Amino acid sequence: MSASSQTFSALLPGDVSDDSSKRALLAEIDASCRVPVLFFVISGLLWLLAGTALALVASIKLHSPGFLASWEFLTFGRVRPAHLNTVIYGFASQTGIGVTLWLMCRLCRVPFVAPGLATVAAIFWNIGLTVGVVGILIGDSTSIEWLELPRYSTPILFFSYVLVAVWAIITFRLRREQHLYVSQWYLLAAILWFPWLYATAQIMLLIEPVRGVVQAAVNWWFAHNVLGLWFTPIGLASIYYFIPKVIGRPIHSYYLSVLGFWSLALFYNWNGLHHLIGGPMPAWMITVSIVASVMMLIPVTTVAINHHMTMWGHFGKLKHSPTLRFVVVGALCYTATSLQGIANSLRSYSEVVHFTHHTIAHAHLGLYGFFAMVMFGSLYYIIPRITQREWPSLGLISLHFWACFLGLALYVVPLSLGGILQGLAMNDASVPFLKVVEGTLPWLKLRTFAGLLLGLGHVAFVGNLVWLLARVFGPYRKPVVAILMGAETAAVVGK
Amino acid sequence: MNVLAILMIGGVLAVPGVALVALRWASHRGELNLPERAALLPFDEEEPVGRATDQILNRQSAES
Repeated sequence: MSASSQTFSALLPGDVSDDSSKRALLAEIDASCRVPVLFFVISGLLWLLAGTALALVASIKLHSPGFLASWEFLTFGRVRPAHLNTVIYGFASQTGIGVTLWLMCRLCRVPFVAPGLATVAAIFWNIGLTVGVVGILIGDSTSIEWLELPRYSTPILFFSYVLVAVWAIITFRLRREQHLYVSQWYLLAAILWFPWLYATAQIMLLIEPVRGVVQAAVNWWFAHNVLGLWFTPIGLASIYYFIPKVIGRPIHSYYLSVLGFWSLALFYNWNGLHHLIGGPMPAWMITVSIVASVMMLIPVTTVAINHHMTMWGHFGKLKHSPTLRFVVVGALCYTATSLQGIANSLRSYSEVVHFTHHTIAHAHLGLYGFFAMVMFGSLYYIIPRITQREWPSLGLISLHFWACFLGLALYVVPLSLGGILQGLAMNDASVPFLKVVEGTLPWLKLRTFAGLLLGLGHVAFVGNLVWLLARVFGPYRKPVVAILMGAETAAVVGK
Repeated sequence: MNVLAILMIGGVLAVPGVALVALRWASHRGELNLPERAALLPFDEEEPVGRATDQILNRQSAES
């Protein structure tokens, strides 16, 4: 063993470092993940509740502008970016990191290395984000979309992220399974891409700002890549792990999964500037971005075929597995939002939908329909294993799923259609602008209703989790139904 | 062309560039071979292929 390997091995807990060929038991790995993973996940879900409340306030203001108008910290210009940042950096990033930590340990076949490091990272992440969101609400937003957190908060977040990346590299270095599964490719790529994106955008927009339209170019290069090179790889890594695990069948085509990963890595980075179609940018830059966006058909199609063919013959299991329900809906939304994004990148289509609610629907189909649903499904699988407790209420699981599914459908479908109608009306010079605005009101009210349904689902999920955690501190009871015992046992118990 | 423009264009080229280097590394390590083995990596003796997990809904309440 080399000196560096010995140094890394010293970080392994217990006596498992003595024999590098000895594989840790799954239960041992799961138990070692408990504190850091739960810390990230619980923090993420609390931010989800905060983000949902802020979203509802912002949504109501769109059709009832007088709502909570007497407090300046609750004006639309502050509530909306506060919602965006709590959801992407509070909920999505933290649950994504939590799921990443667990998947890395499982796939590397090592117990959690240096849990203190990850826990400190989680603490700093939440401190940085709290400072940043309060900063937005008191009027310190940078006004740069997806980067609204004030400059004084972002170094804390970045420091926290560096700790997570260091942890991931150590875990990868210590892996006992030398061959890599496709999920690990996605996770490692996401872990290395995000700090580069975030640091570049911070430097070029906030620390040493570029001038003029280059700001917009950097802004959309960052904002689009956060979705495609941070959240998307984590979401796809989870799908590639959980669908095979739940149905007990390997992925349909490993070659296709590899092709999907590498084509995403090659093409996605160029996509962001299609957000600036019609803007004062060099036409070739926009055109390159459109071409790269259309090239995304390759990874999207390969992933869609692979997921569908893996599920083929196993759709009946959707009835019984909460993980599978959420993850499969997330996978379908990934395909849908990607195809919608490719359409949006075309000049002729963008002329209609660019400045409309269609774009809002698209963003929510991606970040919520795809990423959040996959994260919910992943947590239904992970949490019982790391806490050694079953979910207390199956009714709350069903409520969570159906409220989120219906809320998502009511959010995305009407706003997508309404956005197209809005765009067509805006492009018609004979239609007064006020008429266009009035025409959006029914869609906006439906959006608020959809948000209430999503909020209901979130409360059901968090309630179930709190109930489960309360049992962690109670006496251990042998599981009756089956997450922890496998499907065959569950079937026997079910009889 | 100023330094920041070079940084930005370099940055845009960096992701696919690094991806190509990583692809070459993966190919040399044999990561692209033996896809049947790689596809089985989520499974092991404790949770083998053919054993469905997480089948908890519509069977029996976990409350009992």
